[in-house]
Amino acid sequence: MADIALQALSKVYRSKVQPEGLLALNRVSLAVADHQFVCLLGPSGCGKSTVLNVLSGLDQEYDGEVRVAGAVVSHDSTHPIRLGYVFQEPRLLPWLTVRGNIEFALESVGIPKGQWRERINGWLDRVGLHDFAEVHPHELSGGMQQRTSIARAFAVDPEILLMDEPFSGLDELTARSMRELLLGIWLETRKTVVFVTHNCFEACFLADRIIVFTPRPGSIKQEFTVELDRPRNYEDPRLFDMSVKVTHFVTGGRE
Amino acid sequence: MVSLVVLLAVWQLASVAFTARYVPGPWLTFSAMWEHLSSGEIPRHFAFTMTRMLGSFAIAMAVGTVLGTLMGLYRRGEQMLDMWVMVGLTIPSLCYIIVSFMWLGLNDRGAVLAIAWTTFPSIAINIWQGVKAIDQRLIDMARVFRSSGMRRIVKVVIPQVLPYLMAAARFGLGVVWKVTVFVEVLGGSDGVGYMLNYSFQMFNMADVFAWTIFFTIIMLGIELLILKPIETRLFSWRPDIRA
Ligand SMILES: Nc1ncnc2c1ncn2[C@@H]1O[C@H](COP(=O)(O)OP(=O)(O)OP(=O)(O)O)[C@@H](O)[C@H]1O
Ligand SMILES: [Mg+2]
Repeated sequence: MADIALQALSKVYRSKVQPEGLLALNRVSLAVADHQFVCLLGPSGCGKSTVLNVLSGLDQEYDGEVRVAGAVVSHDSTHPIRLGYVFQEPRLLPWLTVRGNIEFALESVGIPKGQWRERINGWLDRVGLHDFAEVHPHELSGGMQQRTSIARAFAVDPEILLMDEPFSGLDELTARSMRELLLGIWLETRKTVVFVTHNCFEACFLADRIIVFTPRPGSIKQEFTVELDRPRNYEDPRLFDMSVKVTHFVTGGRE
Repeated sequence: MVSLVVLLAVWQLASVAFTARYVPGPWLTFSAMWEHLSSGEIPRHFAFTMTRMLGSFAIAMAVGTVLGTLMGLYRRGEQMLDMWVMVGLTIPSLCYIIVSFMWLGLNDRGAVLAIAWTTFPSIAINIWQGVKAIDQRLIDMARVFRSSGMRRIVKVVIPQVLPYLMAAARFGLGVVWKVTVFVEVLGGSDGVGYMLNYSFQMFNMADVFAWTIFFTIIMLGIELLILKPIETRLFSWRPDIRA
């Protein structure tokens, strides 16, 4: 069971400049069921990346309770679940090739070496990078680096997928095909996905549920359930209506 | 290659202009070098010098790396050591040499201490910079993929520090070889520096040139045949920098 439960999650960032701390998240409670696709939507700086960092176990200085697959995410134990994380930046190791970077993740996660080649080639094909396996990151465009990072996250066969604005650096055409790819994979595998975005249309196209955050300190302002059938279609007028509704709420609620 | 020919020509001209007593020409110099090489004098003294150099280089690298790492990792370490490393860099190497000799005597131990002492602060500073430049976000990436602590160090942290480590090594070697010769001039009974001083006492300019040039050729050889290829191999992934 790859479910997630946040109970009154608050996060204060402390620094030298602000000894009293900066409240980034204010009592966020959220339950994500196994196999669910949830989008976190909110303005820049509202704490979306912070939520993912807490979920992934990278940030363990928070108040409240965080459970993933029923287990408390804690310092001393490894994370209860095999994660795939697409960071807001590509975070590739610059001295390894595209293939080397994915191999690094596969090896870390403990996937048998015999499966590497097939997995890597398969995922690079799907993200359109089959000709770039032996290339170093600095020879790739920003979008290609991001796609490498996406391939890396999928290649480890994660039980939970955390994605932090993975498509925001791509052109709209590539972003569209990546979204379709993501949904296709998700329909096949039904991982639990927590997907951060500030793009309402993207959220409506992808998610089962959309969680809208307030500006900092981030808290949950509203939740939308997207009732559209899958597989979804970009031309679906109901998708368009839904997107208008969410956009209206997000922009209208800002004053 | 052209520059080498030009250099030899200029050298020969200078020798003619200033007489061989002050500027011995290439022929004189290389025949002196050959003489000392075949007599076994150069190899013998060179071995002494190299031993001192490598011993003190190893000590300086070890101490510098440990200190630099502590300074990079812990703010307390930085506060405590920052000042002292700067002080260490400022004090003239001659002072270290004299103090070392007064403590340990005019022997190899004193020499090695003096050389290592002069060298380690600059190594520490290089490593310190390297550790501070480590990208935490890459380490976090590795953690998310459940990479073990050991693998994170070997595959994510060390490659990031490696350019600084290489710079420290090259820089350190440069300091070491200059200081070693100096130390041998001051308090040696053998080694290249001692022989340089001896030739100086005899006012044998051809020998001074011969020892200096031999030593320089060897150091260049180490740089070009060992350090440079290692660096090229390690950092071949890096893009060329265009300013
Ligand atoms: N390492 C940090 N130290 C101090 N403050 C931080 C740190 N990281 C984030 N913050 C603060 O926490 C708040 C939330 O940051 P976070 O990165 O989670 O925002 P976000 O919703 O992901 O924004 P964006 O859409 O721009 O990526 C920000 O306002 C920022 O000021
Ligand atoms: Mg963010």
